[in-house]
Amino acid sequence: MNATTSPVNQYFKALQLDETDHSLSQELLQNCGIEIERCLECGKCSGGCSNAHIFDFTPRKIVQMIKVGDEERLLHMDALWCCVACQLCVDRCPSGIDIARIMDYLRERAVARGIPATRPTVELFHNLMLDQVHKIGRVSELYLILNYNLKSGQYLNNAELGPQMFIKGKLNPFPARVKKMDKVRRLFHKKPGQKGEVK
Amino acid sequence: MNVAYFPGCSLHSMAHEYDLSTRLVCKHLNINLKEIEDWNCCGATAAHSVDHALAVGLSARNLSIVQQMNLDRVTAVCAGCFNRLKTASHEIRNNPRMQADVKEMLQTEAPVKPEVQHLLQLLVEETGLDAIGQKVVKPLKGLRLAAYYGCLLTRPRQIVEFDDAEQPVSLDNLLRTLGAETVTWGHKAECCGGGYAASDTGIVLDLGGQVLKSARQAGAEAIVVACPMCQSNLDMRQKAMGLNFRMPIIYFTQLMGLALGYKAGQLGINKLFNSPIPLLKSKGLA
Repeated sequence: MNATTSPVNQYFKALQLDETDHSLSQELLQNCGIEIERCLECGKCSGGCSNAHIFDFTPRKIVQMIKVGDEERLLHMDALWCCVACQLCVDRCPSGIDIARIMDYLRERAVARGIPATRPTVELFHNLMLDQVHKIGRVSELYLILNYNLKSGQYLNNAELGPQMFIKGKLNPFPARVKKMDKVRRLFHKKPGQKGEVK
Repeated sequence: MNVAYFPGCSLHSMAHEYDLSTRLVCKHLNINLKEIEDWNCCGATAAHSVDHALAVGLSARNLSIVQQMNLDRVTAVCAGCFNRLKTASHEIRNNPRMQADVKEMLQTEAPVKPEVQHLLQLLVEETGLDAIGQKVVKPLKGLRLAAYYGCLLTRPRQIVEFDDAEQPVSLDNLLRTLGAETVTWGHKAECCGGGYAASDTGIVLDLGGQVLKSARQAGAEAIVVACPMCQSNLDMRQKAMGLNFRMPIIYFTQLMGLALGYKAGQLGINKLFNSPIPLLKSKGLA
């Protein structure tokens, strides 16, 4: 493996402190009220993180990367697409830094910039779900899964569960829909999956 | 007590039995559930993951209907829906800019009034364990249960303000009030993998598998849940996780119903994947 592209090398690459950019931390302060400078680097976020064992960057590292404005790597990282949003990091942070909100903010930014998700099926699932909400105001699990399997090409994904779920009456083929759909559609400032700048 | 009720999408399909048992138990305890008229999906993980304003807006519309129904309290039984409603309510109350955005989106006043409570919270804090205990006619004697809270029921504490985020006890206390025994275990507040069941199943098999193994190790005969996502993740995928436990994953409202004298069939206990019926029969409870 090329020494400059090895993930381990990238991880431990010294930060170029003379090129730090504070615009991302300032944005988070303005848009989300998050004070990134209050991070004590205690690491409780990473210690508790449900999925740190598969993240390319741990929550603590992510906060440090925001401090120095390493936006490109943040927007391309895999952690954005496998964070389970379990809120453990938020709950445990002694400085009150809402890391889960930061992850959402960065993901929204990455999507707006058209940066492909490292796990495309995860993004696809989000979009199909929101598409249903845009169409009928609610989510029908049956149609969501069928549509997802079709669009992701994983035709038999979870198919082994289908028959038993059907027998148990767990799949409702006649989902109710919201009557005042105009009120729900007003909440969408862009169509699900549409690229565009974050407000 | 009149309370607005947000069932959420799952309760209309996959978690129908959770809805069924919730309505029975609430009626029995004189909690008058009024379903939010024309409610919409809370947006779940999808909305907050890619569109923050939409996520707040979707829950704000539901809260706004509660306010229009003149109810001061809304309860949800899905931990995910509960967390989205509570987070939106917190943001609308504390962030003036978001409050203005919500007003604009909904074209009505921002819904700052309704209190959001998960049904477990409502039962423990408003009805009270003593009142529930007095109504128990069939104590769940001999059942060894693992009370599972997952993530969104108690986290983050700054927003949810219920129980303890690290060592929650409310569900344990409720189950003991019903006469069951609860085990001490390490994964009561760990994540089950949440919304990744379809889109990245490996995450659910990994995290959910750890929860199941931990409960089993602690000697639990079944896991008790308060969220339809936790239920389906833990119940339907034990085989795929390579576990042959066949461990029942039961909604807390179903067990409450049993203790209050209802039959397993009325509570939809037969709808669960890994059937709890043999276990309940062995204790003389079904």
